[in-house]
Order: sequence, then structure tokens, then C-alpha cells
Amino acid sequence: MGAPMDVLEIRGVVKSFGGVRALQDVTFSVRQGEIRAIIGPNGAGKSTLFNVMTGLFPPDSGEVIFDGERVSGVPPYRIIRKGVGRSFQITNIFPRMTVFENVQVALFAHHRSSRNPVGLARRYPAVASEALGILGQVGLAEKYEQSASILSHGDQKRLEIAISLASRPRLLMLDEPTAGMSRFESRETVELLRTISREQGLTLVFTEHDMDIVFGISEKIVVLQQGMVIADGTPAEIRANPQVRKAYLGEEISA
Amino acid sequence: MMATIDVSFLTVQVLSALRQAAFLFLISSGLTLIFGVLNILNFAHGALYMLGAYFIYALTLHLTGPAGFVVALLAAPLGVALIAAVIETGLLRRIYVQEEIYQLLLTYALVLIIDDLAKIVFGPEYKSIPKPDAISGAVTIFGGTVPVYTLLVLVLAPAIALVLWYLLYRTRTGKIVRATSSDREMADALGINMSALFTLVFAFGAILAGFGGALAGPARTVFPGVGTEVIIESFVVVVIGGLGNLWGALIGSLLIGTLETVGIIVFPEFEMSLIYLLMVAILVVRPWGLFGRPLKIKALSEKNLGMEAQEISPVHFSVNPLVRVIPVLLLLAVPLVTGRFYQYLLTQIFIASLVAVAFNLLLGTTGLLSFGQAAFYGVGAYTVGLLATKAGVSTLPALLLAPVFAAAVAALIGFFCVRLSGVHFAMLTLAFGQLVFTIAFKWYGFTGGDNGIQGIPVRPLPGGVEIGSTQAMYYFALAVVGVSVEILRRIRSSPFGSTLKAIRENTQRAAYLGVNVKLYQWAAFVIAGAFTGLAGGLYALMEKSITPDIIHWTKSGEPVFMTIIGGIYTFAGPMVGAVVFTVLNSYLVAWTEKWALVLGIILLVMVLLLPGGVVGFVNEKARAAFGKRGWVRRWTFSKSAAS
Repeated sequence: MGAPMDVLEIRGVVKSFGGVRALQDVTFSVRQGEIRAIIGPNGAGKSTLFNVMTGLFPPDSGEVIFDGERVSGVPPYRIIRKGVGRSFQITNIFPRMTVFENVQVALFAHHRSSRNPVGLARRYPAVASEALGILGQVGLAEKYEQSASILSHGDQKRLEIAISLASRPRLLMLDEPTAGMSRFESRETVELLRTISREQGLTLVFTEHDMDIVFGISEKIVVLQQGMVIADGTPAEIRANPQVRKAYLGEEISA
Repeated sequence: MMATIDVSFLTVQVLSALRQAAFLFLISSGLTLIFGVLNILNFAHGALYMLGAYFIYALTLHLTGPAGFVVALLAAPLGVALIAAVIETGLLRRIYVQEEIYQLLLTYALVLIIDDLAKIVFGPEYKSIPKPDAISGAVTIFGGTVPVYTLLVLVLAPAIALVLWYLLYRTRTGKIVRATSSDREMADALGINMSALFTLVFAFGAILAGFGGALAGPARTVFPGVGTEVIIESFVVVVIGGLGNLWGALIGSLLIGTLETVGIIVFPEFEMSLIYLLMVAILVVRPWGLFGRPLKIKALSEKNLGMEAQEISPVHFSVNPLVRVIPVLLLLAVPLVTGRFYQYLLTQIFIASLVAVAFNLLLGTTGLLSFGQAAFYGVGAYTVGLLATKAGVSTLPALLLAPVFAAAVAALIGFFCVRLSGVHFAMLTLAFGQLVFTIAFKWYGFTGGDNGIQGIPVRPLPGGVEIGSTQAMYYFALAVVGVSVEILRRIRSSPFGSTLKAIRENTQRAAYLGVNVKLYQWAAFVIAGAFTGLAGGLYALMEKSITPDIIHWTKSGEPVFMTIIGGIYTFAGPMVGAVVFTVLNSYLVAWTEKWALVLGIILLVMVLLLPGGVVGFVNEKARAAFGKRGWVRRWTFSKSAAS
């Protein structure tokens, strides 16, 4: 009992697309509250793994266990309801709704008020203050009235994190959360994620190209290459792993 | 002896089915090619077919003899291609960056315009095109009499198909076309000149339609509006085969050609229903057609097109409740100062408003373009008509059952339709709508067939309230529509409505909020169907007679028109559109026969210049103006967090 539980387990996941093996026997587990990075060169299968883990498509074989429950093959909306949040590599928001509405509608879905067709959306003061609270957390409270489509790229990424947080996930999966951000914006976002993880005991799984960020915040790292796990360990272990250095990281972490 | 009769009969039927398939393939191959590359489902493709037929008609008036016929047969498609090139470069090109529904609507406007122009130029009557003597006779094959012209078609159509195959698979341009069709983004990134390619493909598709018309014209007849019959058949063909897939168009043509020939012999009553049934059956098993794949979102970079998308802002203010009451008060007073004509006109407007507002719950709020709303309108109208005339049910219970039956039908149809999206969704709703239409049109024993139902009695409401008079019906319709519209407004402003908007904006992200997207789309479809059915029930009471015309797909186009005129992302827009449409309809029909032309031009102008609609435009201006006068804004508009 004493040891922290595994919140996410990936067991022997295989996925092929038209004969191409995108994932081959991928196995690893993530503990409650952990910050976990998944890295690998382009085409290593990171996005495919993300899509399998969040139910966009089922694995050919193997299984994904969330909180002791098998979720592979379950449609995304059900996985989300079990407490998994996700953000996307390409910014994925509701462009022609206000910043506030973006988070509000996520909260409606979370609190199951989405199915109410008669009450007025603006008469949900608790949801409104919760939405503003989340927007405050990601630093968008000032811009709540703006249309999401006119936000800067960094703000849109932050909004997407806010939308994901509104589902109150216990596990948050972020596909390149800092893609396209300036260095300053990236650092801010990373700080934000770290704070949220610490304060709420949220488990974070993310992919990232920026090695400074990866080694800066993750507690454990999984390295994928050609759809296979070639290493799994703490940043120090990964740094020292000759296979990883040879296959992928090389100079980047030699210093 | 028996055997020879069978063989001759079979020969005639097989050749006739193949001829039909050949015509269908010529038209639908162009349609599917255009869709594959431009991502536009060209409603005007049937009109281009019609032009091909008219051109050969006009040319053969001057060019006689076999040589003249051949020249006309080749020149007519080129004339069509020229017109198509003008349409593409002058009109379509302007809106490639707009959402796909605007492209669909622009081609729909062109149908209205081209049809009426053809009527002006060539007259409203049926024209038959004379064939040279050499190909107007008949020959005997296996004892069956087969027109020589059929044989000519059966040689020429496969020849065209071979040329098409050669151009697509053996030339460099053909490879580019196929590459673009399978992955537009990639082709875009490779630096292919999209503008030139689009014009080329659109014109080439038009050649195929024009050739289809030129070849079919002498075998059939040509008249204004023939294109709308042809285009629906071609839609069925390409949707069955898989949009954008040429093999699919070929197989689809053969299937439909055969089914039509067999259907006329075996089920003469329900021949039309059969092709829609086949389409529905195939799409239920394979939602993207026999050879189709789920569509990728084919975004084009704005830079490549050299233009910027005109964003239609769906963020709006909701009007103070007191402001909303004013029009209702005015409407209550109308019968005091006007006669029966205006009361009747306004009652029509009320019913049209309800149809349009219910439709816009799907289009503007959920992002689903339904081209089958007339089916639910018809179910509602026939529910009232049949219950009142055949079962003697009283008026109010009959009217209340109209939305119930319409919702039940919508639940069934919607179950299959929400599995698709975009153009596929529109086409499947269209097919289901036409299926309902053909049933009402042909089932004489139950629906009265094309005679419809006459003499629907309007009985007093409980409490002895008479609603038979024009004025009483006016108030009754005002009350029913008023309450319904208010319910629809509440639905739009509710958390449920917010969720529908989220689905419209980003279906995938909505699913990742934990929303069961299909269930919500289905619910919206059923709600819209129910209110459309209620409007149909009111219509039956107002007119006291109904015909299946009200279920025809062109009727499903009306709420689309109203919504675009008024404003897709506004709540009041569809109602304003209903006023414009109904008034135009009443006055223009009396004033000119060219009312479809006027309608088409209005739609064209709106799509090109004012895609946000009249109310959307006024909203923008009002916000800009009242924003400076804070108190006016506070009193008149309240910012809606959920519009």
C-alpha cells in the first residue's frame, strides 16, 4: 500500500498503419503525481502513442490501464470522463468563442450540465467563477472577453491547457505543450505546469522537443525509437544511457 | 420460343440500363473530379448538363446533317467549359477560404440563376433535338429492337472514359490532379499552382457534364429545370461510390442505371424510392461510400490563394427582453389595421420563421447543414392531414402529435446521418428527405399520392375557440410559433446550446471535453425535426390542403436560403430571412415569372458580399455605434456569454 500507485500503465501496445509498425510492444508505467516525458526523434511514435492512450484509436494488441481500469478501445469522451485530460500538438481550441466560453463549456461538460437544454448558460455563477479561477491560473483572466481566435499563439496554447484543466483531470497528457512558443513563453508555461502538478497532485505526461525543458522538469523519461521503448528512467539515467546517446541525444546532453 | 423472347427482352433492357449508366457516368465523373480537387460539391453541375443539351439544340438548328451533328456534339461541351471557367474565376474563386457551405450555396444560387436564364433564352417548353437520319433508326439485336443512338452512346461514353483515364493516369497534369485529390495540403506545400489547377479541373468537369447533356439531349428532351433532376441522381451516384472517387462514380452509375431499369419493370410505383433506399443502405454499411474514405480536413494555406478569410463573428449580444417584446406587441395589433391578405401573409411568415429557426439550430449552432428538413415538415403536415381526415382526430391533439411523429422520424434518420459530417451529412439528409418525398408522392392508398390531401377540417380548440378564420389562425400561429421560437432561443442559450457551439467550432476538442459528440448532434437533429414538424402541422391547418410538393428537396433549400440571408450566427437572422423570402415569394411571383432568378442573384450577392447575413451586418454596426453610448448598449443589449 505504502508506495505510490501506478496511475497509468501501458502494456505491450502494438499499433500498425497499413503494414508500418508505428508502435512495437510499448510498455511502461507512470506513478501518481509523477511528471513524465516521452521523447524520441520525429516519427518515433510519440503522437501515435498519445492517440492510443487517449482513445483516438485502439491498439492492435496490448492494453492501456488507467487507475486500474482498462481504457484501450474506449472512445475518447469516456476516457476523459474517467479523469484524463489532453492537449494537442496543433493548437486545439474553440476559435470563434470567447476565452471565457472556451473554459465555461469545458466546465459544463465536466459538471454534466451540458445536457441541460433549458437553463441559461449565463446563470451558472459557480461555473463562471470557476472558469475565471482557471483562467487566472494560466494568466488569461484579463482577456476573458476576447475571441479565442485573435489570441497570440502562446495565449492559445495556454487557453488549451486551461480547457484541459477544466475537466479536472488526475492525469494530464500534453503533446508538445510549448511548440511554437518563444523561449520566454515556454519557460512560463513550464513553470505553470510544474506548479499545477505540485499543488493538485496532478500526473503529467508530455512529449517535447526542447531537451532543456525535458530534463528540467521531468522526474522520469521514456525514450522511443522506431516505435520501441529503448530506455526508461530518471533524467540522470537517461543521460548516462549509451544507447540513448548514440541513437538520439548525442551532443545535446553531452555537456 | 420462350427463350428467344427472353433473350430479346433482356438485350433491350441491358442495353437500356447501360445507356442510362453511361449518361450518369459522364455527369457524375465530372462532379466527383471537381469535388476531389476543389472540395466543392457542385450543385450547378446539373445546370451545366442542361446547358450542354441546350447548346446542342441551338447548334443543330443551324448545323444539319451528320457532320453538323458531330460538330455540335463537340462544340456544345466546349461552350459549357467556357461558362464554367468564367464561373470559377469570377465567382467561386472569391470564396475558397470561406467555409464549405458557402461554396455549396454559391453553386446552388447558380442553379436558380442558370435555370431561369435558360427559360428566358430558350423558353419554358420541352425541346427535342433532331438526330441525323443515319443515327435515328433502330437495329435488331438478338430479336430485340435497339435504337442506333443507344449504340452510339455505348461506344462514345466508354471512349470518353478511356480518354479520362489516359489524361489522369498517363499525363503529368493528370498526376498533379490525382495528387491534389488525395492530399491537397501536400500538393499545396509542393508549390503546385492551385489557381490554374482549380480552373482547369472545374472547366474539365464541366466539359464532361456538357458532353453528358449534349449526348443525352437527343435521346431525352431538354427543358429548364432538367438539371435539378439530373443533379440529384448524380449526387446519389457519387455518394454511393465515394465522393471524389472515379471508380466509385463508375460503379455507382452502373448500379443506379441498372436499378432504375429494373425498378421500372418490377416496382413501377416505387422506382424512385429504390435508388434512395439503395443509397441509404450503402451509407449505413459504408458511411463514406463504396470506395470513399473519411475526408481529411483539406485546409489550404491562405497565402497560396492570395486572400484572407473573412471571419464571420459568431459572438453576439443578446437583446434586452423588453426590446424583444416590442415586435410581438406590434404583431398582436396587426389584424386591427390590416385585411385578410396581410394576415395570411404574416401567418406564412410565422411558419417559415419556425422552420428557419429550427433549421439554424443545426446549421448556425451545431454546424450541421441539413438538406432534408422538408421531410420533417412533410411528416408534420401529413400527420395533421391524415389524423384529421382519416381518423377524425380533433385539431389540437393532431397538431400536438405532429412534432411527436416528426421527432420519431428525425430520430431514425438522424441516427444514421450524425455518423457523417460536412457534405456527406448534407447528402445523406437529402437522400432521406427524397425517400420520404417519393413515399408520399407515390403511396396513393395512404397519402393520396401526388393529389395530396384536400379539405383538412379545422375543428375548434378545447373550450370552443374557433381558429378556422384567417384572423383566428393568425393569432393561433403567432402563439404557437412565438412559444416555439422562445423555447429554441432558450435551448441555444443553455449549457446544452453552448456545448453544441463547441461541437461546431471544434468537434475533436469537444470530444476531448468528455462530450459524446454524436449524441448531442443527434439530440439537436431530433429537436430541430420536432419543431419543423410542428411548423408543417400549422401549415396543414392554415392551407387546409397539402400536396407532396412540400417535401421535395427544393423545399429543404428554403430554410437554407432564409438563414443565409438573415444571418447564420444570429438568432433573429433566420426570421428576418423568412420575412424576406416569403414577401419576395408572394410579390415576385405575381410580378414576374423570373422569381428564381431574383432569388438566385440575392443569394449570390449575399454569399459573396455579406456572408454574415443582414442581421449579422446590423449587429456589427450596432455594436460599433452603441459601444460609444454605454447606457444605450447596457439597456438594449446585454452581453451574452453564450451566444
